[in-house]
Amino acid sequence: MAVLLRGLRAGRTLRGLGSVLAAPSATNPTCSSLRRGFHCAALRLRDESKTHKPSSSSSSSSSSSSTTYHEHYQAHSADQDAAGASRDEPAAEEAARPNTSYQDQSGEQGEEYETEEQLQARILSAALEFVPMHGWSMEAVAAGAETLGLSSASTGMFYNGAGDLVLHFIAQCNAQLTEILAEQHNQVQLGQAEPKKTADFLRDAVETRLRMYTPYIETWPQAMSIVLLPHNIPDSLKHLSTLVDDMWYYAGDRSTDMNWYTKRAALTGIYNTTELVMVQDSSPDFLDTWSFLDNRIQDVVNMAGTAKQVQSTGEAMVQGLVGAAVTLKNLSGMNQKR
Amino acid sequence: MAASVKLLVRRVIRLSHRNIFAAAAGVSGRSGCCWAPSSCRCFSDAAGDRSTHFGFETVPEAEKAKRVYQVFENVAQKYDVMNDAMSLGVHRLWKDALLHVMHPQPGARLLDVAGGTGDIALRFLEYVRTQQDRQKRRAALSGQTPSWQDVSNNYSTEDEQESRESRAVVCDINKEMLKVGKEKADGLDIRAGLSWVVGDAEELPFDDDQFDIYTIAFGIRNVTHIDQALQEALRVLKPGGRFMCLEFSKVTNPVLARLYEAYSFQMIPVLGEVIAGDWKSYQYLVESIRKFPDQEEFKCMIEDAGFYCVQYYNLTGGVVALHSGFKL
Repeated sequence: MAVLLRGLRAGRTLRGLGSVLAAPSATNPTCSSLRRGFHCAALRLRDESKTHKPSSSSSSSSSSSSTTYHEHYQAHSADQDAAGASRDEPAAEEAARPNTSYQDQSGEQGEEYETEEQLQARILSAALEFVPMHGWSMEAVAAGAETLGLSSASTGMFYNGAGDLVLHFIAQCNAQLTEILAEQHNQVQLGQAEPKKTADFLRDAVETRLRMYTPYIETWPQAMSIVLLPHNIPDSLKHLSTLVDDMWYYAGDRSTDMNWYTKRAALTGIYNTTELVMVQDSSPDFLDTWSFLDNRIQDVVNMAGTAKQVQSTGEAMVQGLVGAAVTLKNLSGMNQKR
Repeated sequence: MAASVKLLVRRVIRLSHRNIFAAAAGVSGRSGCCWAPSSCRCFSDAAGDRSTHFGFETVPEAEKAKRVYQVFENVAQKYDVMNDAMSLGVHRLWKDALLHVMHPQPGARLLDVAGGTGDIALRFLEYVRTQQDRQKRRAALSGQTPSWQDVSNNYSTEDEQESRESRAVVCDINKEMLKVGKEKADGLDIRAGLSWVVGDAEELPFDDDQFDIYTIAFGIRNVTHIDQALQEALRVLKPGGRFMCLEFSKVTNPVLARLYEAYSFQMIPVLGEVIAGDWKSYQYLVESIRKFPDQEEFKCMIEDAGFYCVQYYNLTGGVVALHSGFKL
């Protein structure tokens, strides 16, 4: 398990966060420590490679077609302006369409180009508000596409179906958490906040992260089952490992020995079990879940303390035994030379 | 700035690759001239009289449409029977695969161009109706004890349901084929949500941004100007709409290719003569398959027309290719 995490971590720093796009790309953390600096370089490489559109996207064709996308974008934006004026929209959709419709964006010339991945990310983000109604399914994605002014047929772009939606949401939550933790870190650095103890910090981080699921908690079991499908497991494991790694990093972990693995394994276990408890928790504001979380973190802290105690007790016992043996030897007179 | 320059360079490289590929393909193609209609047009434009291919023949462009019309007028009555005989019933699987990949959502509007006897449109309506039934069943199961709030909500959404009925429009240039299709639909008693329109794929009689899905199954190789048909497809699709094309293509496996060639040129015209009494039409059919660009070439044509996320799936080892693109 730890070896797997290590391998995924290595793959991540080398390749960057490949296929699933985390929405806010401006979250490049300030590179202070050396290891974080390496991570920053990987992130910058990822951003650069995003504009070059590597073939890590689902179809190799999209890499070649997206080059023409940029050329066509300027030509077509003029066409779409004219087309948008004469478009016949049903009345219901008109009312539901927010200002971020696709037509509006294309009308603004001189704005940044939008890649296909960005458009897909926008569709998936828009689809999230329909999840309570339709579940984690293609119907939710179709409804999301319609709010952006796109036809429901554009859901054909998502070859992984509902898996795309769930993985996008998880990536989005992870990015939000990283932002929050970085912000807290900055506050501590500036001296505006007190640094928390490790156990409290982890507890708050896990709680913040799990609270992001509260709007979708009814349908979260469906999402968990989708994420456990064999073809989705590599991606979900990747997200989980980066999440746990981020939490420990901001908690101040700089270990370079076996502790690195044991700490992450422990936190992964805590996170997963708390998530499961949360899904079937019916107490107000998930109080039972948070008390469960408290107990688990306390267990881990106790275990660490107990391990140290066992070690020192063992040493003391050995010393005591050696002392008793020497005393017996003295008493029996074996030491005396006659 | 640097990014856009890089993209421009990549586009130039891609175009030059395609030109190299087209030239190489032209050299190794089955018949020397007219590998792609566009290159053929450039070649004969200088001569003043534009010509294109009709099977292995070369005919003036104006004449091709007329001759294709005649071919399909002749075969219309026996079209479905011949399809089953020639493909040994496999064409049904190909069309089912098209629907499966399409996975239409309820409320989608389909335009089936060169739809002729309406195979795709009928399958589309059935697929959407099954999906809607499944959704209703799921809703009924989950809402066994609805609250008063839910009941009143259901009453208000019922009106919206009416406007979310999916519709299919079958468009064909040939009245005979449409007649046969209409008779078939009437025989199956399917009238709601289906309409039959006469129209030319290069000049569709529809407004812009009308349809969610545009399909053309085994029809685009008969079109004189394929790029114009693709432009029209782009025009009538809504933003986010999907273009799907099912067409005979190049077989990748060499052993299968030999068998396929033998079968096409020896068996199919004979079947045509025996079952439909028309050798020449089916000779045209197999020849037009050979003249059509292969998977990659056609994918480039679709991208040039302005579609994104273009992908193709090979069915039956490349005998048939399903191309899909999005208007974004």
